[in-house]
Amino acid sequence: MTRYRTVDLLVTVLIGAAFGVAFLGYGQLYTLIGPLTAAFKPAEGLLAGIWFLPAVLAALLVRKPGAALLAEMVAAVLSMLLGSQWGWGTAVSGLMQGGGVELAFLLTRYRRFTLPVAVLGGVLSALLEWGWEKVAYYQEMSWAFSGTMLAFFLLSGALLCGVLGWAASRALIATGAVDSLASGREAARAVEA
Amino acid sequence: MHVDGLRWRPLSRREPTIEGLDLAIPPGQRVLLAGASGSGKSTVLRALAGLLDPEDGDGEGLVPAPSRPGERGLLLQNPVHALVGATVARDAAFGPENAGLPRPELTERAARALEAARVDLDPERAPLDASGGQQQRIALAGALALRPDLLLLDEPTSMLDAPTAEGVRRAILAVTGRRTLVVAEHRIGPWLPHVDRLIVLGPRARVLADGHPDQLFSHRREVLIEAGVLEEEAAAEEAPGPVGPSETVAALRGVTVPARGLTAPQDLELRAGRLTALTGPSGAGKTSLLRVLVGATEPGAGAVSRPEPSQIALVPQDPEHSFVATTVREEVLASPWATDEDLADELLQRAGLAPLAGAHPHRLSGGEQRRLAIVAALAQRPDLLVLDEPTVGLDARRRREVLELLREATARGTAVLAASHDELLVAAADARHDLPAPAPGAVPTPAPRRVPADALNPLTLSLIGILAAIGSFAVQSWQGGLLALAPTVLLAPLAVRSLRGAALRLLPILLSAAGLAWTTALLGEAPALSGEAWLVGLKEAARITAFVAPGVLALASVRPTPLGDALGQRLHLPGRPVAASVIALVRVGHLGRQWAAILEARTRRGLGGPRSPRVLAGATLALLVDTLRGAEQQALAMDSRGFATATRRTWAAPSPVGPADLLGVGIAAGLLVWPLLAEMLVGAA
Repeated sequence: MTRYRTVDLLVTVLIGAAFGVAFLGYGQLYTLIGPLTAAFKPAEGLLAGIWFLPAVLAALLVRKPGAALLAEMVAAVLSMLLGSQWGWGTAVSGLMQGGGVELAFLLTRYRRFTLPVAVLGGVLSALLEWGWEKVAYYQEMSWAFSGTMLAFFLLSGALLCGVLGWAASRALIATGAVDSLASGREAARAVEA
Repeated sequence: MHVDGLRWRPLSRREPTIEGLDLAIPPGQRVLLAGASGSGKSTVLRALAGLLDPEDGDGEGLVPAPSRPGERGLLLQNPVHALVGATVARDAAFGPENAGLPRPELTERAARALEAARVDLDPERAPLDASGGQQQRIALAGALALRPDLLLLDEPTSMLDAPTAEGVRRAILAVTGRRTLVVAEHRIGPWLPHVDRLIVLGPRARVLADGHPDQLFSHRREVLIEAGVLEEEAAAEEAPGPVGPSETVAALRGVTVPARGLTAPQDLELRAGRLTALTGPSGAGKTSLLRVLVGATEPGAGAVSRPEPSQIALVPQDPEHSFVATTVREEVLASPWATDEDLADELLQRAGLAPLAGAHPHRLSGGEQRRLAIVAALAQRPDLLVLDEPTVGLDARRRREVLELLREATARGTAVLAASHDELLVAAADARHDLPAPAPGAVPTPAPRRVPADALNPLTLSLIGILAAIGSFAVQSWQGGLLALAPTVLLAPLAVRSLRGAALRLLPILLSAAGLAWTTALLGEAPALSGEAWLVGLKEAARITAFVAPGVLALASVRPTPLGDALGQRLHLPGRPVAASVIALVRVGHLGRQWAAILEARTRRGLGGPRSPRVLAGATLALLVDTLRGAEQQALAMDSRGFATATRRTWAAPSPVGPADLLGVGIAAGLLVWPLLAEMLVGAA
């Protein structure tokens, strides 16, 4: 159960690296909502959940303790090496975001890999990440606005990380690309039964 | 080496892929394993390597795992999956690292293996940037470094053009010596003179024929033909009769792409209903010329005429990059320019894909995926169809099926251009355009200027960023914040390579800081946008800059491989996760190219621009599918080089710590306390 075969390890770190690359393209999404966030920064929380996707996908596909944290850390370190404007803050974010998802699956003792657990993971990540951003970046933001931002973070964590991440894991299993992983095997058994 | 009653059924299949295989291979024998695609050749090789994982399926008579790392070397069809190192030298050392060999022996073995495999590249070059032939030789060196007794090769030359394939084959045969060799290949001709034994596999890896090639050729010819191993004297593809003049659909005039080594001006006319083959040695710039033709890149010089974007269809080298739908039929109709359902069904019928209309595109075989991509392109009724290596890696029957579809396209009046080194395709083309060989040693990349920060251990560089970030929390006032930035400004020249590079790294920081100042002034406790609020904003901007800037500047000198070396040797983190993370980080350039190709393929099909959330979501999924499929092959290649058992691995390069690091630690400590001192100075003043 906890033994990492080479393929498990590789899939985990490659999910992180692939998202590290895709994240560069996601910057475009922020320009889409740019006018909104310039006037009202907390709205940026609406996109927060996409940054937790590597963690939730690694957990749902690989199903091993530590996969969520490792994938998110690889994505964070990659962003950092490529010159993310948040510097070492990115590494802490990786820890918070990966840690939140990891915690959700740990609470089930790595037995349940379902939509509700994924949503919980997104919510926990959002909470931790919001806490870190409040301390590091938005110390001087008034609590009323910070509270609003938290609400947006939680919503985004639940939907963009939890629901979207779970849907993406289903879509990936359907392609047969993860047949050699725990998640793909379960799907294969379900088809047979 | 022998297997008795080997059976294997992957968990994802209902039927076994190997059903009762008995095989004995005496030491030193050279065996050629032939059979059509899907006959289970790859699985047999995996079984012989002892790498069929009981977690993946039900097996009987499985061969035990190797008794020492790399005892049985394995080479895969696509060398990209075998490459793990940031440099050629480091890649060859991967196996010995896994085996835990001491550094001097490891270095020597890697160097010898590279020599034996005839890798004539600078050892500091990046393997993923090398040509396909070089990559396969680097992979061969990677296997040799562990001194295997047995070499297992899975279609090692099928992705290469004929002369390159010949070079790789010679390198393989030269290193084989007295080793046992098992080659799986569907184009057997070139191997026949060099092997002692030919085994022909049918469905489910059933042995159809087994013996000396000469004997099989004289006595069992019909079996070889039936198995699709030996082509019947291919009725030389009917050279299409004289065709009348037809209209020019697209043209290149005097086009060059100097950045890709294509310096001789090219003239090319593509006419309606004609198939043109674009040929040339690898590295000649075929793909670059295709990109210029469809309008993805600008030529260095010359003029291009082409139809409207909706009238151009592009089938990339990895057709699955463009797949967007969950069934074959939806895939054909996915483009907004493919509106005719009857045409779609007719094309599926012609391509033999009609029975698979409800299947998931990603679950099709390689040959079926190629045909689906072409059918989806034709469903757009394009005037111009452009394909990049549409038959590479396919066996004879599947290559002919692709050709038939191209004929279908020309019959419909489409102008077709296919970049290819497949002689079958070139012979069937109405016209042929040869690109010259690239100028030797073209475009050397200049080594980046060294800066003092490069002398530091990655851990020291990290410490500078981390302690500076912690220290920045002491900033309480805008005056203190600005003063806190002073050492960063003074030390920056030690880490900055060029003004442009520094601007690229620092501009996002300054923009974020400005954004934070604005947000704070607008949404802080003080009245919005009052003078007081702006001063708080200024403090926040200075604080966040002091937080991130030292780290960002120092990180510019951190490379993944030395970082991994430091984490493994200095911090003693577990070797396998660290090594795997480095392998993933090293592939970033490759992943970036895949990402660009995926976005390109989607935009070309009219599915939306790179800013559309739908396209971004689809592209992410496609990148993941590609990456995860590759991961399976990569894991196999890595395990054949001893990674599965590499819990106590060694590292080919040391992670030196020197006097410069002492200075670096001093700087880190200074950056930790300075903001606090700055506040005290400001408070006292």
